[in-house]
Amino acid sequence: MNSMVSTLDAGMLNDDVRETPATLDAFLAQVERRAFRMAELQLRHREDAMDAVQDAMLRLVKHYRDKPAAEWPPLFWGILRRRVVDLQRRRKVRSIVVGWLGGGRDDDGGELPTWEPADPSPGPLERLRDVQSYADMAAAVRQLPQRQREAFMLRMLEGLDVAETARAMGCSEGSVKTHLSRAMHHLRDQLEDWR
Amino acid sequence: MTSPNHHRPDDKRPDTPLEQRARELWHEAAQRIDPATAGRLRAARRQALESTRAPAHHTARWLIPTGAFAAIALAAMMVWLPLPKHVTSPSIQAVSATDPSVEQDNDLPPDADKTDPNLYQNLDFYGWLAANNSQPATR
Repeated sequence: MNSMVSTLDAGMLNDDVRETPATLDAFLAQVERRAFRMAELQLRHREDAMDAVQDAMLRLVKHYRDKPAAEWPPLFWGILRRRVVDLQRRRKVRSIVVGWLGGGRDDDGGELPTWEPADPSPGPLERLRDVQSYADMAAAVRQLPQRQREAFMLRMLEGLDVAETARAMGCSEGSVKTHLSRAMHHLRDQLEDWR
Repeated sequence: MTSPNHHRPDDKRPDTPLEQRARELWHEAAQRIDPATAGRLRAARRQALESTRAPAHHTARWLIPTGAFAAIALAAMMVWLPLPKHVTSPSIQAVSATDPSVEQDNDLPPDADKTDPNLYQNLDFYGWLAANNSQPATR
């Protein structure tokens, strides 16, 4: 029993050093939490993040289950990336519509902040030991332009190689390197305390 | 997939402290998701995987209405397009009775009760007429 627990713990803590699992179930189990975090960080909304992850899982299983296991990571992260972009676009359109209807300005004519869906549920970050550090990193990552943010998250956080990152982002490997270099430059400035 | 915590083939330099710290926080945050959210993620995964295990139901869902539609279409065709009957009309019978070419196919004589009596009176004339009509005039 102890050995099973220790194996489970080791698997949970070190799942980033494992190879891509042979079954879709194991692969999705390995990435689902990080996928949720990635969607949550970009969308800033837990329900939207859950929808994005669920949709990415469904699409991967439906369309790519017969692909070799080695191709699942870039495919999955690519699907999730597009889903996040779709949700961001929808949110932007909603903001524009609200602006047209007069909801974008306050009584004094000042511009109200961009519409964001309410998220009343308590965030899990409160329970993290390194809450402040993660929050700082998340805030810095959110300030990056979209493509730099995607390159940083897929390449640095998720650990895809350049080719896989390029495939997931739908661009060339050179573009990935450029986006990543700029992202790292910005983050070094933002996260001076980490040095 | 390449391991994030190892040097990548395309990246010959070691990870910087910033990269290591970012990755560490990232994985900690991912592992410490609250139980409710983790449960929902598991449920989403199961739902996605089960969606592929029911292709037969999906096919049956289409086969049933398709089969019903085909049966209705067949019934409608049988009602509106009845099978052709092998009964010739009386006029055709009359002509075929006098036509020598048709006579070979119809050995039975015409029914006397149903046939025009004038036909019998001028039977030779009609026979001559039919024979000459079948050969077009040269002039």
